[in-house]
Amino acid sequence: METLGFLMEGFAVALTPYNLMFALFGAFVGTLIGCLPGLGPANGVAILIPLAFTLGLPPETAMILLTAVYAGAMYGGRISSILLNIPGDEPAMMTCLDGYPMAQKGRAADALAVSAIASFAGGLIGTIGLIMLAPVLAKFALTFGPAEYFALFLLAFATLGGITGKNPMKTVVAATLGIMISTVGIDISTGTQRYTFGVLELYEGIDFILAIVGLFAISELLFFVEHRMGGGREKMTVGKLSLTFKELVTTIPTQLRGGILGFISGVLPGAGASLGSFISYTLEKQVLGKKGKFGEGDIRGVVAPEAGNNGASSGALVPMLTLGVPGSGTTAVLLAMLISLNITPGPLMFTQNADIVWGVIAALLIGNVLLLVLNIPLVGFFVKLLSVPPMYLLPIVTMVAFVGIYSISHSTFDLYFMVAFGVAGYFLRKLEIPLVPIILGLLLGPEMEKNLGHAMVLSDGDWSILWASPLAMGLWIVAGLGLVLPYLVGPLLRRRMNAAMKESPVSD
Amino acid sequence: MTSFGDRILGLGLLVLAVAYGWAAQQWPEPFGGAESVGPETFPTILSVVLVAGSLYLMIKPDPDAQWPIGKSALELVVSVVVLIVYALLLEPLGFIIATTLAVGTLSWRMGAVPNRAFLTGLISAVVVFVLFNHGLSLSLPAGLLEVN
Repeated sequence: METLGFLMEGFAVALTPYNLMFALFGAFVGTLIGCLPGLGPANGVAILIPLAFTLGLPPETAMILLTAVYAGAMYGGRISSILLNIPGDEPAMMTCLDGYPMAQKGRAADALAVSAIASFAGGLIGTIGLIMLAPVLAKFALTFGPAEYFALFLLAFATLGGITGKNPMKTVVAATLGIMISTVGIDISTGTQRYTFGVLELYEGIDFILAIVGLFAISELLFFVEHRMGGGREKMTVGKLSLTFKELVTTIPTQLRGGILGFISGVLPGAGASLGSFISYTLEKQVLGKKGKFGEGDIRGVVAPEAGNNGASSGALVPMLTLGVPGSGTTAVLLAMLISLNITPGPLMFTQNADIVWGVIAALLIGNVLLLVLNIPLVGFFVKLLSVPPMYLLPIVTMVAFVGIYSISHSTFDLYFMVAFGVAGYFLRKLEIPLVPIILGLLLGPEMEKNLGHAMVLSDGDWSILWASPLAMGLWIVAGLGLVLPYLVGPLLRRRMNAAMKESPVSD
Repeated sequence: MTSFGDRILGLGLLVLAVAYGWAAQQWPEPFGGAESVGPETFPTILSVVLVAGSLYLMIKPDPDAQWPIGKSALELVVSVVVLIVYALLLEPLGFIIATTLAVGTLSWRMGAVPNRAFLTGLISAVVVFVLFNHGLSLSLPAGLLEVN
């Protein structure tokens, strides 16, 4: 088994004390970020990127840190769902359905414990899936030519809105805006200055880290200022653990089903963790039928979405690592990190940067174990943190974003740029223009242009090369479907998710 | 008229798309003659896509979001101004003073008691400063507090 050998090498990378320390730190910070309402995994990873840079971490360490944050945030999301009935992000919504009722019945400790175990199972299943699927897909992707890559990028944009996205045209607009920003600077192939207006700072283009931190972190602050979620929260008591071993054993089939379903929906472009937790929950409801008390605090109602959600987060790494095409917002941010480290994501990464890829995968496995170990005893600490009023917390988070950006270049020019992106992000979010396609456009724009150029050179300027091969044609068709499906399936799915939320007797 | 937001956005994007596309046509032909894909090809495609997208937004706008009015709009402006002033003062005043003021003002405007807000600002500023300058040996500006 070739893969196993690589994985062993990966463990050798991930298990060095230095990397292990960062994995632990990332897992801890990630859980912290995940459990704070309003801060999702994408924001968390975005804020930590500049720090990873300024610390001058080696590439594999930086990636290990950020993947641990990502996995941790997925773990942490469940805490506020269960205790406060406030999902930190969309995938955590389904956990509220049975988690909060359990907490109300005084079984908060059990819900937290069992959801940590489910997150572990989901993450583990997802990572195993990643180990099996990624090398195969990477090999397949080696057959891609420039035309196929161009079509693949289109596919990524088309499906990024996700099937829950509202208006696909807004995804198109967002992606175009992002690619447009990426064209600012000196054209690599001809040396032409594009859209620099003679401003020196723009010659090298707009740094996407500024854009990411501004769009995610600063706009989040502005949203908070507008809504003023208010001061302290009621103090939550967790209570004693009364979970029996027998009860835990009965959830094993649910863990397996949820993890596998989650992984599959994570791999599929555009589906992501929201769908993962949703279908795992619905399937479980159908499988158990009347035997379950879903919506009233059934333990399996907590297990299914958490396993699904964490399975999906590993699944989303498959297209990111093998094709260089992220399946979700957070993986887009991770991709940004890879590109900034001068690593071209995609099939070649598996041969050229095998130590990084396998180090990250091994770190995911280790991270999941760390998270489980961290989460059970420290849950009380994370719960306490929930009672820190966001009015103190958000300004500090914003300040950390400032420090991170400033430390990279020591230029205040960058800070103004970041604030400008934050204000723009606020308006765009208000107008329901999704931010992730903008980021992805910024990241993939240059690659897209390069591949277009190569394809044209190969065909002597014949544009039909872009859809000439069956593979490229297939990608175009899937991309087309990705744009049309949200119109057809999206409203239905959203309605069902909302209906499920309403069915639950306690949620308001 | 409802759906004002999307229409204005559409109009703005249309102007942007046309200006962006027009600018691309003005670049001199690169040395070595025109290739099938020059520096202007890709931007031209993008501007066409954005024109189509902006027209769509104007023709089929989504219902309007709730925009903040009065006090919360003012608070938003205040926050943005605080961030800009923070960037402006970071180097002259130094990290600790600038951060105390910025974090303090922000949490105060979000509803914290002023004393506690500025205390939070001071504590977090000192912690981050010490952590960065001594723990991670990255220099943040000391500004007025510089000890010679």
